[in-house]
Amino acid sequence: MSWLSLLILIPFATALAVVATPDTKWYARRWIALFGTGVVLALSLVMSVSYMQAVLDRGGDPSVLTISQLEFEQSIPWFKSMGIEYHVGVDGIAMAMIVLTAIIIFTGVLASWEVKDRSREFYAFLLVLVTGVFGVFISVDLFLFFLFYEVAVLPMYLLIGVWGTGRKEYSAMKLTLMLMVGSALVLVGMLALYHAAGSQTFDLNKLAMVDYPRDLQRWVFPCVFVGFGVLGALFPFHTWSPDGHASAPTAVSMLHAGVLMKLGGYGVLRVAVYLMPEGAKQWALFFLVLTTINIVYGAYAAIRQTDLKYFTAYSSVSHCGFVLFGLCSLNLMGFKGAVIQMFSHGIMTGLFFGLIGMVYGRSKTRDLTKMGGLSKRIPWLATSFYIAGLASLGLPGLSGFVAESTVFLGGFFGNRWVDATTMRVCTLLATSSIVVTAVYVLRGLSRVFQGPLTKPEFKQLRDATIPEKLCTGILVATLAVVGMYPPVLIDLIEHAILPIANRF
Amino acid sequence: MYIQPEIIVVVTAFAVLGMEMFLPLRHRVLQTPVSLLGLATALAAVVYLMIQGEGKFLDGQFLFDGVAGWFKVSFLLAGLLTVLLSADLLNGRFKVMEGQDRVLIHRGEFYTVVLFNLVGSMFLISATNLINLYVCLELATIPLFALVAWRRSDPLSCEAGLKYIILGATSSAVVLFGLGLLYGLSGSVDLLTMGDNLSFGPATKLAIAMVVVGVGFKLTLVPFHMWAADVYRGAPLPVAAYLSVASKAAGLAFMFQLFYRVLGNVLLDVSMALAVLAAVTMTLGNLVAVVQSNVKRFMAFSAISQAGYLIMGFLARSGAPSMVYYMLVYVVTNMVVFGVLVFYLNETGREEIEDYRGLARTNPWIALVMMLGLFSLAGIPPLSGFVGKFFLFSVASKAGFHWLVAVAAVNSTVSLYYYLRIVRQMYIEPGFDDDPPIRASASIVTALAISTVLMVVLGIVPFFYETIYEQTHQWIAVAEIR
Repeated sequence: MSWLSLLILIPFATALAVVATPDTKWYARRWIALFGTGVVLALSLVMSVSYMQAVLDRGGDPSVLTISQLEFEQSIPWFKSMGIEYHVGVDGIAMAMIVLTAIIIFTGVLASWEVKDRSREFYAFLLVLVTGVFGVFISVDLFLFFLFYEVAVLPMYLLIGVWGTGRKEYSAMKLTLMLMVGSALVLVGMLALYHAAGSQTFDLNKLAMVDYPRDLQRWVFPCVFVGFGVLGALFPFHTWSPDGHASAPTAVSMLHAGVLMKLGGYGVLRVAVYLMPEGAKQWALFFLVLTTINIVYGAYAAIRQTDLKYFTAYSSVSHCGFVLFGLCSLNLMGFKGAVIQMFSHGIMTGLFFGLIGMVYGRSKTRDLTKMGGLSKRIPWLATSFYIAGLASLGLPGLSGFVAESTVFLGGFFGNRWVDATTMRVCTLLATSSIVVTAVYVLRGLSRVFQGPLTKPEFKQLRDATIPEKLCTGILVATLAVVGMYPPVLIDLIEHAILPIANRF
Repeated sequence: MYIQPEIIVVVTAFAVLGMEMFLPLRHRVLQTPVSLLGLATALAAVVYLMIQGEGKFLDGQFLFDGVAGWFKVSFLLAGLLTVLLSADLLNGRFKVMEGQDRVLIHRGEFYTVVLFNLVGSMFLISATNLINLYVCLELATIPLFALVAWRRSDPLSCEAGLKYIILGATSSAVVLFGLGLLYGLSGSVDLLTMGDNLSFGPATKLAIAMVVVGVGFKLTLVPFHMWAADVYRGAPLPVAAYLSVASKAAGLAFMFQLFYRVLGNVLLDVSMALAVLAAVTMTLGNLVAVVQSNVKRFMAFSAISQAGYLIMGFLARSGAPSMVYYMLVYVVTNMVVFGVLVFYLNETGREEIEDYRGLARTNPWIALVMMLGLFSLAGIPPLSGFVGKFFLFSVASKAGFHWLVAVAAVNSTVSLYYYLRIVRQMYIEPGFDDDPPIRASASIVTALAISTVLMVVLGIVPFFYETIYEQTHQWIAVAEIR
């Protein structure tokens, strides 16, 4: 059995173990969940080291790669008559995403340490969701990819609906339906590609070798791009995201913004851009403009928010825009930037939502205007919050800087299919969002943490507990490590991006 | 001998009827295990025959082949689960709320009628002769009229029965007219030779239209679906369950016999009409289901939309395995959901969607099973409903109907919306304050266990689809040579 299968088996087995715990022992469940996700985290780190080793051993000239070279491959025939296989394997991009997921779920369990209400179902659904996410990242077979994609999306409905706050049922339903319409589009495109290839296979690498007719790519590409783009918060299909994030419980927001939204960008890269280069060229300009709006609109919308979660959710829309923007620039630098941004935004926003949950748990309010001076009482959380904020406005030394600068470089490099001036104007507009981001992040943070204490009851607030310190500590450390020494991430993903970039 | 399964079912039917006549009342509970035993034996016989390979019986008037075998498995599973689901009502184990009357009596007769209906369906998929085909179709329909109106004292049930009998008789007449035309055009009643003599002309078109109208009634295709909601609502719930799966499977079997054996050559000429029919059926079924508040009516419209997905398989000749597979999947999945509905109605007397609130707390296992069943109906992986739909969509995509795939995929999202409404009631809404935990009876637990396990296994284990694929492809190849 491949190591990769363990990545989906362990969370699922942990979910079963959680279900099997006796009713009275709610605290046992969090330990089981923590143990299971800890094992997954360790496994993913070991695997990424071993992946790097394998890539180094392979040597050769990577610039001529035409298909992604996979590690830890395993393939078992499944529905033979359709050519569906249980085919798993990872390249660097998937490996980076797996590490990201493992970090987020581990810290997510820490952040939901105090969930007592129906904790059995909570952890079970959370772990099933993670099973789906890992499944997507390790799938090489498009059918399997789609299958896990839906498994990852659906538990969100219950997680938000049951444990959420505010207009939770509305948000949960809106989120689920919008994402499912997206996946319906993906399904249509996927079947069209499968039948056009006529080779009875869903293997991504084999599908990539087929030269699809231009006309087919012309209509399938936008289907798949928008289908996955919904999950990647593509403007104007992002409206589920602020509502969903605002209503979701802490760990779910972390997972959702940190990991699930990455599935969107990942799907666009893996399926839309990789399989249909001709379609990508034809639609590059259109989606470039759309994602520029994404970035700028998200940032301006965030300025106006007074609810901390809406604030972060709109900033997420803006930052996820960078991912899609990078993908639309259709060059090596842009793709690289997009993947780094996926990783960096995942950690950063995971930290944001984790902290918001912790602050909300203490102050019982998420309204910016009602807070103030909290840093005197909760210095640990305040510091972490500032670091996350600085990462999000792209301060050098933190991972956000590496990501955004790479994306912008990709934008300025341009490509042969979009007019150079348009490209630069779009990039310039996108760059301007950094200033806006600085405005809203700094203003928001100072309202919450600086100045005098606005309410007497804030005097009793306690700083982070040990699980919370562990949770935020891991995330901050990851931001810093990637920010100070980017090769740790770039080396991992570089080889995997080449075969995609070589198609353009 | 390839008639064993049918003989076993008939013998069981008579045995049950005999027990009704000769056993004292208190011993008649034995009728349930006897029926179950009979159906299980018949199922075993079918499986045995499928391993044996194909063969003829009754002087070549009937044919047992791979497709027939799989259909018979579907029918027998539906029958088996229906017997299990109705056991509680017949034992008097149910809670009566004010103004409701759910008593079912005459256990022996009830089972006998179900079993005879099953025999009709089982012969139907084997028939090689137009006359037999029609007789079997009637045998697979008429007992249902009686079953729907089983609660004689309940006006709703009687109204449903009446509605069903009138529309059913009309549809039979239309089918008969269509069959008559086909006979006139081909000059033969042998299904295996009829196709050779047919050519595609206006009269054939009319005949196909008539047959589709008649079968559309059984399959609940829009616009021939009008009866469904009222009949489901009025029928006793286990009968509604049986109706939703066995009657639909019989309709599909009939369509298989005619479309593949007789009309094979002209099937592709009518594919556009079929695609439109499918699109209209699934869309209307879904949109109306959204506004239902009663679970029975809700399931009726859900069944209508599922029929729309189902006939997508006719768009390409290679679609047969997908349809057979989806039928099997649909039988077990729908029985999961209906099993929970029967359970909840029996234990609490409630049948509105909002009455399901809090089920996740009063019985978490049943709620989980229900959620899985609904997700499978909505086509959520990795449950078998997803795999089944995926194969059907693939057929439509292969035939070039990309727009239909898009319509169908968006429709399954809409359907997810209303299936989630029940999930929401069970998991999210606060429950009734004074509800104690509810326990399910042994027969319900058995039925749910069988159907849930099958529902999950069918989607994950490739063996079933692969076998269906192989056997059905041979079947089409043979049908084409003829």
